[in-house]
Amino acid sequence: MQAVPDSPAIGGQDEWTRAPGTLRRRETAFSLSLVAPALILVAGIYLYPAVYTLILSFARFDMAALEIGRWVGLGNYKALFANAAFVDAIWRTIYFGLLIAVGATVSGFLIALLLNEEFYGRTLLRVVVVLPWAVPPVVAGVLWGQMFHADVGFVNALLFRIGLIENYRIWFGDGRTALHIIALAEVWKAIPFMVLFMLAGLQSLPPQLHEAAAVDGATAWQRFRHIVFPLMLPIIIPLMLIQFVWAMKAFDTIFVLTRGGPAGQTTTLNYFVYVEGFQSFDMGRASAAAYSLLVVTLGVVLMVTVLRRYAALRKATA
Amino acid sequence: MTGSRRQRVAKAVFLHAAALVVVFLMAFPLYGLLLTSLQPESVIRSRELSIIPQTLYFEHFRAVLAEGHIVPLRRALVNSTTVSALTAVLCLLVGLPAAYALSRLRVPGRNVILGALVSVYFLPTTIFLIPMFVLLVRWGIDDTVFSLVLAYTGFILPFVIWILKTFIDRLPLQIEEAARIDGCSHWQVMIRIVLPMARPGVLAAFVFAFILSWVEFLTPLIFTSSLRMTTVALGMFRSTIDIQVGQQAAAAVLTLLPVALLMLVCQRLITQVLMSGADK
Repeated sequence: MQAVPDSPAIGGQDEWTRAPGTLRRRETAFSLSLVAPALILVAGIYLYPAVYTLILSFARFDMAALEIGRWVGLGNYKALFANAAFVDAIWRTIYFGLLIAVGATVSGFLIALLLNEEFYGRTLLRVVVVLPWAVPPVVAGVLWGQMFHADVGFVNALLFRIGLIENYRIWFGDGRTALHIIALAEVWKAIPFMVLFMLAGLQSLPPQLHEAAAVDGATAWQRFRHIVFPLMLPIIIPLMLIQFVWAMKAFDTIFVLTRGGPAGQTTTLNYFVYVEGFQSFDMGRASAAAYSLLVVTLGVVLMVTVLRRYAALRKATA
Repeated sequence: MTGSRRQRVAKAVFLHAAALVVVFLMAFPLYGLLLTSLQPESVIRSRELSIIPQTLYFEHFRAVLAEGHIVPLRRALVNSTTVSALTAVLCLLVGLPAAYALSRLRVPGRNVILGALVSVYFLPTTIFLIPMFVLLVRWGIDDTVFSLVLAYTGFILPFVIWILKTFIDRLPLQIEEAARIDGCSHWQVMIRIVLPMARPGVLAAFVFAFILSWVEFLTPLIFTSSLRMTTVALGMFRSTIDIQVGQQAAAAVLTLLPVALLMLVCQRLITQVLMSGADK
């Protein structure tokens, strides 16, 4: 975001006669009074709880007295990492996040490339592609749940019709399949965002590059491989990271489609926090799990950023 | 010449085929949901692939909207509208002055504030919900409209400030400077000059805040417990009995409809305001 340069106070005649320091201080006081309510609200709802959760992660919380019962040090973290279900959830969450990030990026990029071409009906396609954006995550869950419904779902009916399956499948009965269906719902939901931003990126590429390359006899594939793709990478990578971070927070679709089941096989870290905190009411352990999720998220983002810097550096020195 | 012409035809065929596949994947699930909500349970349960409806059946909507249905959808619609409207108004009341100051005035630590506002979107919501829930229960205000409005405002405010600030940044400075020279105070400039000029941005921010409150799911799931306080997004998952597929589809359509209508009406405004932030 680009910051507007500090605009000096433009005062009336009388104000100029005062010392400039007073004027500046008055403007600062005024601007602070404008920002203060927002800051207090955001700090109260983000900062205070975030710190409190961190403190809670080292304690046992007494739900009856609604206060911290006793300190357990790293006890909550130790208990979590000794729990196979939690460790599985970590790996599952990373896999789930990468699946959605890559899925949404690849499909979003392909659709953006398509929309960047001239053809009849392009405007209509653009409207249709943006549709899922207007769909609340809960509804996306309901919708894909009904598509893959064991008895009345369209997918079973279609696959049965064309002879790919002999019996209706219970899609959500198998953990692996269920996890991928949830990811599908999330990707479907994420595509409009990706397409809009990638299309804006594609349209900002200078057209002369294409023309020059075409004159030099480059094929469409070569133009894509050596011009469009490298130029789009600085847009694609951040979008992919944003999508990854959002996927780590996915909750609604998991709740609606599987409630983390069967046997916890679609429980991601975020859902794990919910179960620990608001079904088992173990707030200390839930807080520790929430901070583990934060560390995992930041870890992956950091890794991608470092890898990218390293790749850019190697390219520059090669 | 014929070679390049054949190539062009092949390209057109390929593009249209790809477009058809995309349309099917993106729109068909939505069409399916709408269709299910408008078909009697017997048709839904039959194993026929019925893609074009023979009849339209509105009973599911009537059923879920009836008083005393296990999913109190009518009540939920009132709750969601109240909470979303209050949240959007509160976000604007608090967000607009902040956005104006961050855009136009000297604010100590502005970049830190802006960075902090953006970064909260990358943190998992559950980190904030645990202590908030504890506090709300301790104060005895869980399961109220107020608790939801408070939480939503906190969650949505950074986004609203960001939208408004980006918008105000692009307004021409000269008019405000002229008003200042004519003796208007900063406060008057904000209300009389900036607010009218920023109207599209304000409208977009209102719509976003309303929609984001409307679709919120995890917060009401945790903060509310009674059926009386349920929101639309949550409503169909509050009953202990699974409702029929057709009624579930109808409830989902009713959850979706206000958001879709708002987006449709404000589509140009929303993409314009959102994409203007993208090039920064």
